[in-house]
Amino acid sequence: MAADTIASSPLDTQLETKEAFWQRHRAGLLFVASIVIAFSIWQALSTFVFNPFLIPPPLIVFETAVPMIMSGEIFKHVAISLARVSVGFFSGCLIAIVLGVLLGWIKVVNDLLDPVIELLRYLSPTAMIPIAVIWFGIGEMSKYFLIFWGTFFIVLINTTAGVMRAPIIRQRAAECLGASKLQIFLLVVIPSAAPYIVTGMRIAMASSFMSIIPAEILAADSGIGFLLQNSSILLQTNRIFVALLTMSLLGFVFDRLFRMIVDRVLSRYMSYISLT
Amino acid sequence: MRQTIWRKGYCLKGISAMLAVRNVSKIFGRNDERYVALEGIDLDVAAGEFVCLLGPSGCGKSTLLNIIAGFDQVTSGSVESDGAPVRGAGKDRVMFFQDAGSALLPWLSVEENMRFALRVRDLPKSEWPTIIDKYLGMVGLNEHRKKFPSQLSGGMRQRLQIARALAVEPKVLLMDEPFAALDALTRRRMHGFLLDIWKRTRKTIVFVTHDIAEAVTLADRICVMSVGPGSHITDIIDVTLPRPRDLGEPQAAQVFKRVESLLTHEEDVAEST
Repeated sequence: MAADTIASSPLDTQLETKEAFWQRHRAGLLFVASIVIAFSIWQALSTFVFNPFLIPPPLIVFETAVPMIMSGEIFKHVAISLARVSVGFFSGCLIAIVLGVLLGWIKVVNDLLDPVIELLRYLSPTAMIPIAVIWFGIGEMSKYFLIFWGTFFIVLINTTAGVMRAPIIRQRAAECLGASKLQIFLLVVIPSAAPYIVTGMRIAMASSFMSIIPAEILAADSGIGFLLQNSSILLQTNRIFVALLTMSLLGFVFDRLFRMIVDRVLSRYMSYISLT
Repeated sequence: MRQTIWRKGYCLKGISAMLAVRNVSKIFGRNDERYVALEGIDLDVAAGEFVCLLGPSGCGKSTLLNIIAGFDQVTSGSVESDGAPVRGAGKDRVMFFQDAGSALLPWLSVEENMRFALRVRDLPKSEWPTIIDKYLGMVGLNEHRKKFPSQLSGGMRQRLQIARALAVEPKVLLMDEPFAALDALTRRRMHGFLLDIWKRTRKTIVFVTHDIAEAVTLADRICVMSVGPGSHITDIIDVTLPRPRDLGEPQAAQVFKRVESLLTHEEDVAEST
């Protein structure tokens, strides 16, 4: 009763709502604050310390961005880059998951393929650009291939590890209950590997966003990477910064999106590895 | 007054055994790295009997249980379950693990874990609800059927594991230190709970433990195993005291002391060699 009386006094209610508001939005407010502060410092440094041509202040960058957004120029490049990332990423994931499951489940396949994979995985997508251009030209195919290349090994290794680490106790418990080999594989091993597969996909997605840029810089006539390269040749630092900011934003948004979808669809499989 | 009988005979005479372990040896590795884990194990378990395998850590009791379950192969000797030789795991013998979190499927709710057992057992779907109600009711988890294993306490997870095992209607329950990770109070509750289930279902139980008090509380017979290498059953003690047993009672305490001295002797022998 005493607690009720205290809580209902107007001053305390106000204090409590403030406190509650802060508690509820703490993460969001700090996030916004962090970005606002960073942009302010950047603005100040570019105006008073650095050469604004080399490091254009954010307000100038936004000013440059507006016509690029209005004309749809930026969206054209974003769409092209995203399409390339999507095709390479999803085809890479699909094939890597199928092969990774086989590698993790059948020992002899793993023994045969593992040495080759161990050697190939050190070849980054960037290292493969020169040969990809010769194989596939500067059309879409070479970009699909490079993103595929970057995605494939990350997802493959994670999937294999996940399948191999499916707890033996869980498999034996299912076996005791009368599960067949196929049932153990489909209903126990694959779901147990899900957190590893998803984690691999998330890392691979970040790497896809990173490797699309060098691919487009060296061999493309469209996409964000091309925008970067083209602006550099024309010494348009403002446009370079617009492209860089776009790229950060894209990576960030898609990672959040990925996490949201996983939380919605796969949360029950993710209990032992948190994605945050 | 009830008598506690000490005896050295390992095989049941005249009664057909549910489990028959005959001269089982198990050697791991090869040549220089070979390790004789078990040597000359003979054990008969009658239908409906509650047998504890008791021994210090590393004595091979879990290896023996894995062999009975069909997860491990014998190097020599044989194991029969209900008259048929054991070749691999079978749903007549369900293993029950200490780490329930791993043994259960964490992405399925309590009810879905039960359904998983019935699905792999290949029962018609129309029978599922009755069986699920029956066994979840028996272990007192009816109210928690929508929860996931991560939302259950350790004791509740073990009860779910028991319910899931019973749902496939095995003849034998094999339990590998199932309550060792629980706190003392929960463990004691689980003992009463397990004995109650055992009384109602009359399953044959082989229970591995290193806890003397647990063995004396639960078992019809306690098999004391020697320390490896070449571990074998050194003594079998019949415990005929009525349940529930209180270790404070003189007879139970006497059994406890007897078993303790046998076990201590085993460890002394192991340390002196």
